[in-house]
Amino acid sequence: MFKSKRLIAFVMTVLMTSMLFAGCASKEQKEVSEEKDKVEVNVFQFKVEIAKELEEAVLAYEKEHPNVKINVQTVGGGDDYGAALKAKFQSGSEPDIFNVGGPQDVQDWMNKLEDLSDQPWVDLALPGILSGVTVDEKVFALPFNIEGYGFVYNKGIFEAAGIDPLKIVDYKSLEEAVKTLDAKIKNGELKEKYPLLEAVFEYPAKETWVTGLHTSNAILGQEFNSSIEAFHADKVAFKYGDALKKLIDLQANYSSNKDEKQKLNAVDYTRQAEEGLAIERVAMIQQGNWVYGKIKGVDENVAKNLDILPMPVKGGKEDCIPVGVPMHWVVNKDSKDEVKAAAKDFLNWLYTSDEGKDYIVNKFYFIPPLKGFENFEPKDALGKAVKRYAEAGKTTPWVFMGYPTGWGMEVLGNDIQKYLAGEYTWEEVISDAKAKWEKMR
Amino acid sequence: MKNSKFWFSFFIGPILFAFIIVVIVPMFMGIYYSFTNWNGIGNTADWIGFKNYIEVFRDHDFLSAFIFTAKFAIVSVITINLMGFGLALLVTRGLKISNLLRSVFFMPNLIGGLILGFVWQFIFTKAFDGLGRMLDLNFLEGWLSDPVTGFWGLVILMSWQMAGYMMVIYIASLENIPESLMEAAEIDGANAWERLIHITIPLVAPAFTVGLFLTLSNSFKLYDQNLSLTGGGPYNSTQMLAMNIYNTAFKFNAFGLAQAKAVIFLITVAAISLTQIYYSKKREVEM
Repeated sequence: MFKSKRLIAFVMTVLMTSMLFAGCASKEQKEVSEEKDKVEVNVFQFKVEIAKELEEAVLAYEKEHPNVKINVQTVGGGDDYGAALKAKFQSGSEPDIFNVGGPQDVQDWMNKLEDLSDQPWVDLALPGILSGVTVDEKVFALPFNIEGYGFVYNKGIFEAAGIDPLKIVDYKSLEEAVKTLDAKIKNGELKEKYPLLEAVFEYPAKETWVTGLHTSNAILGQEFNSSIEAFHADKVAFKYGDALKKLIDLQANYSSNKDEKQKLNAVDYTRQAEEGLAIERVAMIQQGNWVYGKIKGVDENVAKNLDILPMPVKGGKEDCIPVGVPMHWVVNKDSKDEVKAAAKDFLNWLYTSDEGKDYIVNKFYFIPPLKGFENFEPKDALGKAVKRYAEAGKTTPWVFMGYPTGWGMEVLGNDIQKYLAGEYTWEEVISDAKAKWEKMR
Repeated sequence: MKNSKFWFSFFIGPILFAFIIVVIVPMFMGIYYSFTNWNGIGNTADWIGFKNYIEVFRDHDFLSAFIFTAKFAIVSVITINLMGFGLALLVTRGLKISNLLRSVFFMPNLIGGLILGFVWQFIFTKAFDGLGRMLDLNFLEGWLSDPVTGFWGLVILMSWQMAGYMMVIYIASLENIPESLMEAAEIDGANAWERLIHITIPLVAPAFTVGLFLTLSNSFKLYDQNLSLTGGGPYNSTQMLAMNIYNTAFKFNAFGLAQAKAVIFLITVAAISLTQIYYSKKREVEM
């Protein structure tokens, strides 16, 4: 009779004391690091793909600047960076360097942003690339890089199916190619060479950033000319709404879940990239050049053999891909002066010194947003592809940073999930998304 | 006697201080913010009266989250307590491996909710899927991709995690039942079922009060398992109240509105729990 009570008491005591110790431990750690005579810069960044490489860059920087200590924390990918950042600020441990997306973020965070107009890299910026983060002629943020996305495809599979990717320049030719490929997968013609191949596409509707931000941007990037324009728009017209439906339907109808499309709502980024394209289970995914590292991690030969097809908007510009700046670095205005100086110097080092440039291009696989990288050509297949589109002018802008806060992922992304599950008709998706945009402005 | 006031404040004071700082003050700050339009970042928060509270009742997502949470709470309270009680009965029968079983059943409760969520996400989406394909059982495929499997996924996860904890509470109570009562009943000719219904259950009623209270309030406040298992998806159909409030605050930058929701949430949970305690207390039997 006593035994069980004692058991409970024991369990409770253990729990309580462990909580106490947990509390103490984190406190002590902090004190120790503050004791050192170093300038400490806390970085809170979003790009999961470069987390490890950024740590390496930091080590290289710290070697040159022994009095600076840089701590990098990464939250991103499937997690919501914005929410994590706000929680970080709420908790009082404000980072010194963090990331903002575009005009909406700049406005939200305005009273935390340091004016960076006097930085050396400002003059090196590619034309127009700072427009989203310039307010009253003051530059507040340094672009991460340029990224582009479209339909990333496996050249080998296309070749085996006898499809010439160069001829895919509009929606019609894309649809035809998809149908041809699908027929050849079904009749088992490619079975020998690609035993795992089961579908043309994989579409991760669970990741609302893929659907609500990227797929939608393909058409809204033609309705608005820039993220600033989207940011100031009171209404969204969905001028190319039908083209958006076509892009979604094409990817859903030729995916491995084509018969039960609601199952796409459980497909995530990993399933699409690593367990999809990388193992040659599917031939093509809607993603950007940032997946190169992920695919390479699984199978380098597949990664080398990738290229990007355009995302054609029927009735609009067809032979193009959306290209833009995904995120920007900013410095916290409220940090101590010496910390701010170190933070600015680190960013400057990363983007303008030869050693930093090497990290940017060859380790992060970034396409640089600045001039002065002439000797640093992108080495990966997808970076080259994006650069090719950019140089040929076959691009549309990224405008999703100008969407109302939460609209792209939480509203449109969810509406698309409802559409795939059969809860909403396409008309309902459009009207709901339109109404919410107006309400949130 | 002279010193009792001093000792009273000596022991109560620090706890009271901590309680005021971390519970009472934030609660009133929260109530204040629920009447403002604060966005969670800026330094400006304007007083807007009851606007947020009116907005809450127009928010369909909040209402559907409320209904989903209520459904989940009802189902999981039943499954968790039934399982907990069943396990407690099993391990108090004097089996040789009772002690081992107790630790095994309690174990899931020692793992953090987030990790459990991810572990079960893997089980539901990968293991279930593989099994379904192998055995040709279609209902095992595509778990968590629609509202129904999402709901049952959460129920299974929570029952698995909480049943062991409830078991410990029921064991304590079961072992308090005097052996003599059971023997007397047995001699009078009561079979096992009758003993369970007429002696065991009435005597463990106080434990049911605690068990129901804990499971009910925990199910209503659930967040981490919800986040890691389904993330509210697909299309927010498995979003529970706590997650809806979090998203309002951190994804839509509407802190004032989120606070209003939180206040309503607090009142609801308090009301439901207190009603439950009141009625359960009435059913308890004094020995």
